[in-house]
Amino acid sequence: MMSFIKPEIKIDESFYKVEEIRQLTDETFSLKLPKARFAFKAGQHISLGIKGDYQSREYSIYSGANDENLEVLVKEVENGYFTPKLRKLKAGDLVEVHGPFGKFGIEQKDAETGKFVFIASGTGIAPFRSMVRTYPELDYTLIHGVRYSHEAYDKHEYTNDRYILCTSRDKKGTYNGRLTNYLKGCTFAPKTHFYLCGNSDMIFDALEILKDKGFERDQIHCEVYF
Amino acid sequence: MQKKRNIQTGADQKFPSFGGVRRGLSFSPPSEGSGEARRVAFKTLGCRLNQYETDALVTDFSSAGYQLVELNQSPDVVVVNTCTVTNQSDQKSRTTISQAARANNNAVVVVTGCMANNFKEKLENQDNITFVVENNRKSSILSLVDAHFSGEILHPNQLPQDVFRYEPVRQSLHTRSALKIQDGCDNFCTFCIIPMVRGRAVSRSVESVLENVRKTIDNGFREIVITGVNIGRYEYEGHRFEDLLEKILEVPGDFRVRISSLEPDGFGDRFVELFQHQKLMPHLHLCLQSGSDKTLLRMRRMYDVDQFRKTVNRFRSVYPDFNFTTDIIVGFPGETEEEFQETLAAVREFNFSHVHTFKYSVRKGTRAERLENHVPEKVKNARSLQVRQLSEENRMKFLKIFVGKEQQVLIEKIVQGTAYGYGESYVPVRFRADGVQKNTVRRVKLLDLKGEGENMYLTGEII
Ligand SMILES: Cc1cc2nc3c(=O)[nH]c(=O)nc-3n(C[C@H](O)[C@H](O)[C@H](O)COP(=O)(O)OP(=O)(O)OC[C@H]3O[C@@H](n4cnc5c(N)ncnc54)[C@H](O)[C@@H]3O)c2cc1C
Ligand code: SF4
Repeated sequence: MMSFIKPEIKIDESFYKVEEIRQLTDETFSLKLPKARFAFKAGQHISLGIKGDYQSREYSIYSGANDENLEVLVKEVENGYFTPKLRKLKAGDLVEVHGPFGKFGIEQKDAETGKFVFIASGTGIAPFRSMVRTYPELDYTLIHGVRYSHEAYDKHEYTNDRYILCTSRDKKGTYNGRLTNYLKGCTFAPKTHFYLCGNSDMIFDALEILKDKGFERDQIHCEVYF
Repeated sequence: MQKKRNIQTGADQKFPSFGGVRRGLSFSPPSEGSGEARRVAFKTLGCRLNQYETDALVTDFSSAGYQLVELNQSPDVVVVNTCTVTNQSDQKSRTTISQAARANNNAVVVVTGCMANNFKEKLENQDNITFVVENNRKSSILSLVDAHFSGEILHPNQLPQDVFRYEPVRQSLHTRSALKIQDGCDNFCTFCIIPMVRGRAVSRSVESVLENVRKTIDNGFREIVITGVNIGRYEYEGHRFEDLLEKILEVPGDFRVRISSLEPDGFGDRFVELFQHQKLMPHLHLCLQSGSDKTLLRMRRMYDVDQFRKTVNRFRSVYPDFNFTTDIIVGFPGETEEEFQETLAAVREFNFSHVHTFKYSVRKGTRAERLENHVPEKVKNARSLQVRQLSEENRMKFLKIFVGKEQQVLIEKIVQGTAYGYGESYVPVRFRADGVQKNTVRRVKLLDLKGEGENMYLTGEII
């Protein structure tokens, strides 16, 4: 006797309707989707697809683990493949979300007692906003490197003494110059947990600086965007 | 040529994209009523995981009474398990599909594996393919084929999704049996298509793994190779890879365990200690990919050369003859001469006994496709040659260490009075096959080094 397999009835849970697009600068916006249909840890990313396009891209989750909306922060890349298409999306359009993915995150026990230094370039700030919203009591310093001060996305959400803005092309930052130059002059407690996110050149330089300061590679976590 | 049947009725109301079912749609099964078993042939490309999955399918089909044949023996069913990891593997997969389709005009041609995920629609539109089955449904191919032969209309999308459904391997195309403990990966290394085609990391339950180990040993296998896409990421209800490995080693029986390929992150001392266990073979294929920290970051590999060095040194301080092999990609976008020299230095320093060298080639759909500063083909060729030459020097140095020493060799084949096999340290050994049998382990004294390049091997005699 042959036994046949019953078809599985599966409703596709990976499609989300765009609720809102928050324009943060001329190039950068946040894509607000309905609440995530999966549990995730702050720092993880999703892969985002647009219906009918074979390509997808990864985006760190910008919202907190308990927030009412799933949100990502996107910078439109000139001559990019995917971001110009994302930019054209409107409220009500469908996107395909897979995830959550990745190990870039903090342990619950460390969140309660540890000291954190977050180092981000550009949109690399995304996972740190998620962490700060998820763990309101977190003891952190966020060092954010951008070109112009208006790229300090959602800056008001971080307390002044915890947010250090490094601007390389204008003089309106907490520090005027490259993030890595600022880093060279810093001192940190020995047991600090470091989290680096953004482009690989910044991460490479920051890693060298931190290793020169005597920190172990094992206490430095990296998320490379490109 | 048999008549094709239009099956776009009924079922396609539920499954609108019904293009995947094409050839071989006759309802008179070739062997029905003749008393002869139906004949099935398999073609496998790519990694060990694919090989394992084919082996498990072989077991399924032979348990169901199918006869295993070669492509040129007019199979009724051909299963092509494809690979899409490089452009070359795409090409090979395409050629194999054409060969399979030509093998017998009436054969049911099932295409599965990573290419089925990556190019699903394209393959579904090909007339010479009957079914396209994605990786997560691969384990149910027998049901699909059986249904087909008995006139049931079943679309691959109706098969259950379960990447661990496979039966323990009974009849294999190899002496070693692979054991799949994990599937998928979400590291998203920039050059790799795997996260797109195998999906996110999932782990098989501890009990199911152990059950599979027991049955595989009962089925007569003497060596088990632990396999998965990224097995270091194994995690099931609080059990990490080390925990699972320890449990596997504790299963009673006369067998040995190898670990297939590992990503070099997150090993503790406990992992090193586990190699004290007699059953665990002292060899790791640890994928370095590049000896330059900058290149590693561009690849999104989350370790640096120094961490890799620490792992290698930790092992070799306890087990001096520990065998490391690796994968290296040369000519990754932006790789400078200086960065390449760092890779050569690393290959020399870590004394890998074998380097699987890949020339970087653009993989559509990966992040690296969009990276700048692609390296010219000529430069890639030259770099690849240098790594291969260095790998051969290393191999000779490494194998020489074993001359005068002893190894327990698992005999894989006997050809014209010579036994071929691998010692514990994954060193190839040949010796006179006096009174020995395939799939048995013999203690061999190693006497000399023979052969050239990657075909170098040790000769020995039974003690
Ligand atoms: C784990 C992970 C998380 C990510 N999270 C985010 C995120 O939260 N927000 C985000 O905007 N991007 C993020 N990215 C990058 C994102 O996936 C895309 O690469 C990016 O949106 C560009 O896509 P594109 O197709 O338009 O560019 P492509 O046509 O693919 O061109 C890629 C080039 O664009 C440039 N580029 C890529 N990303 C950025 C960026 N963020 N800022 C400036 N230049 C860039 C680089 O030069 C890169 O080589 C993440 C990447 C990874 C791997
Ligand atoms: S670790 Fe990287 S190379 Fe290995 S399967 Fe995952 S993404 Fe691919």
